[in-house]
Amino acid sequence: MTAAKPKTWLARLLLALLMTVTLLPFLSMFTAALAPSGSYPNGLSWPADPQWSNFARAFEAANMGQLVLSSTLIVLGVVPVSVLAATMAGYGLAKLTGGRNRWIYLVFVAGLTLPFEAVITPLYYEVRAFGLLNTRFAIILPLIGLYMPFSVYWMRAHFLNVPNDLTEAAQLDGATRWKEFWLVQVPLARPAIMSLTILLFLWTWNQFLLPVVLVKDPSRRTMAGALGAFQGQWGTDVPLLCAGSLLILAPTVLLFLAFQRHFVAALLQGSVKG
Amino acid sequence: MAGLKLQDVRKNFGAVEVIKGVDLEVEHGEFVVFVGPSGCGKSTLLRMIAGLEETTSGRLEIGDRLVNDVEPRDRGVAMVFQSYALYPHMTVYDNVGFGLKLAGTPKAVRDAKIRAAARVLQMEHLLDRKPAQLSGGQRQRVAIGRAIVREPDVFLFDEPLSNLDAALRVDMRMELARLHTDLGATMVYVTHDQVEAMTLADKIVVLEGGIVQQVGSPLDLYNRPANLFVAGFIGSPKMNFLAVTVDSVTDDAIRLASPLLAAPAVAAPRSWMLPGDRLTLGIRPHALLLDDTGPIGGEVTLVERLGNETIVRIRLDAATEVTAALAGQRDVALGAAARLGLAPDDAHLFDNDGRRL
Ligand SMILES: Nc1ncnc2c1ncn2[C@@H]1O[C@H](COP(=O)(O)OP(=O)(O)O)[C@@H](O)[C@H]1O
Ligand SMILES: [Mg+2]
Repeated sequence: MTAAKPKTWLARLLLALLMTVTLLPFLSMFTAALAPSGSYPNGLSWPADPQWSNFARAFEAANMGQLVLSSTLIVLGVVPVSVLAATMAGYGLAKLTGGRNRWIYLVFVAGLTLPFEAVITPLYYEVRAFGLLNTRFAIILPLIGLYMPFSVYWMRAHFLNVPNDLTEAAQLDGATRWKEFWLVQVPLARPAIMSLTILLFLWTWNQFLLPVVLVKDPSRRTMAGALGAFQGQWGTDVPLLCAGSLLILAPTVLLFLAFQRHFVAALLQGSVKG
Repeated sequence: MAGLKLQDVRKNFGAVEVIKGVDLEVEHGEFVVFVGPSGCGKSTLLRMIAGLEETTSGRLEIGDRLVNDVEPRDRGVAMVFQSYALYPHMTVYDNVGFGLKLAGTPKAVRDAKIRAAARVLQMEHLLDRKPAQLSGGQRQRVAIGRAIVREPDVFLFDEPLSNLDAALRVDMRMELARLHTDLGATMVYVTHDQVEAMTLADKIVVLEGGIVQQVGSPLDLYNRPANLFVAGFIGSPKMNFLAVTVDSVTDDAIRLASPLLAAPAVAAPRSWMLPGDRLTLGIRPHALLLDDTGPIGGEVTLVERLGNETIVRIRLDAATEVTAALAGQRDVALGAAARLGLAPDDAHLFDNDGRRL
């Protein structure tokens, strides 16, 4: 058992290859970010004189502190509300509606089939009519709505798998629907809620199109959205652009490292539950 | 103090009528068992009492209170589910105390009650565990503990022992009987196992096809089954049924004729029968004896030696076999011929519609 069999070697080789292919662009971005400002670094080469100060300059130039704050505000506006609403709706649709009211769920499923890009133009006019253009609410409110179909579908799938016996036992124990929801269903739904929270966080943080279209001021966008503006402004300074992009990536990578286990669980859950 | 009263209670699932008019009275403190084959509506009837299924029509009273439209939590009932339905995220302590907590019972009182229940069920050492860390039998105890701390008027059990292995089932059965004596509460218990019904019940309700076939004490049902269904369902091994015709009738007995039997005489209360009437003769395996002059004879096709008794099957003709449970260890050989006799009082007679005569 000590010596790995040839087959595992092959598998490892393929994995390593795949990893290299995935990481190479990042690595090349990294070396480029260290090149002297204003130069045109070519391919993968460690610069003779690594310019670590590029990161500091990019941080300044992109107004990174403000962007982190803005992204955080947007995430805080979107994720808790979406998760709460989806959890309640998922419970309601899985356990409280049956028979004639099944069609309500189909409305959410229909939402799943709607391509995001298809609604962006009407969204623009609607947000403008609300007078919310160029505010963070222009991102927050549409995102909550856009996330609902998937989130409700996700939570409903979880609640469908919770045996009805538990609901009935809670009812006989004297719980109202409300208490049952908070004291029995929500604690049991924690893994599903956790996964949903992580997914929504990522999608919000990396939201690009919506902020670019609906909010002009980059300092009120999400980080990914702000990257668009950054690119427009500093597109000619490749090392700076690379440094800025890497900085914008950093929070998601850090989050991933912190919640690795949950990420994997979230993705697996998706694959099992379809 | 609460009994139960059901009046013409019915349940439809869509267009299908599952409970077809049940009338039943249960005294306070009685142990009632609903028994019947799978799918006969036992669980549905129990869940209607609990309030988990709506009653389509009829009256349902718990302790003289009409509860048709009362929420489950306000009915004063506790239920033990077949699946136990323990809350997976709570410890045993919290599982048992959940109902008390919801009712706003003070912490000290709650703690005392939980510990008292744990002592009764001998699970004090399990209080800190989660359900996933318990065996089937232990989960069962927790489920029962959760029911008893709330001191309900009526306990409802839906096949609580069916997920346990045979030895544990016998133990838990005895414990439930003891619990019933100790608590003196009304208990309604659902099972498909007639042995459980016979051993636990004060009163058995035999259900089939959503209709009550018979209500009575275990021995009532055993000695005087109201119809062919009850006769076949209660008692193990199953009662033997033979098609017979009436040969002749005297004041207190009739003589039967059948190509399979040497014309036995049986005690019969009715003299309005006429020669030629077709009947079904039912004989319990335990009523049969080895008897060289007996009316039933044939070839031995099966012998099971249980030590305290010997189960013998005898083939009368190609389509008919009779089972006899003979006391003690008998010297019966497979393939040999044997004859069986019975006392005239041990015969059960059923008319053409399956009703007891
Ligand atoms: N929720 C339901 N919807 C439709 N039919 C049901 C439902 N619950 C039970 N039934 C039907 O009612 C009948 C009785 O079921 P049940 O009371 O569970 O039987 P038992 O407990 O005696 O095995 C069965 O035929 C079953 O298919
Ligand atoms: Mg059942």
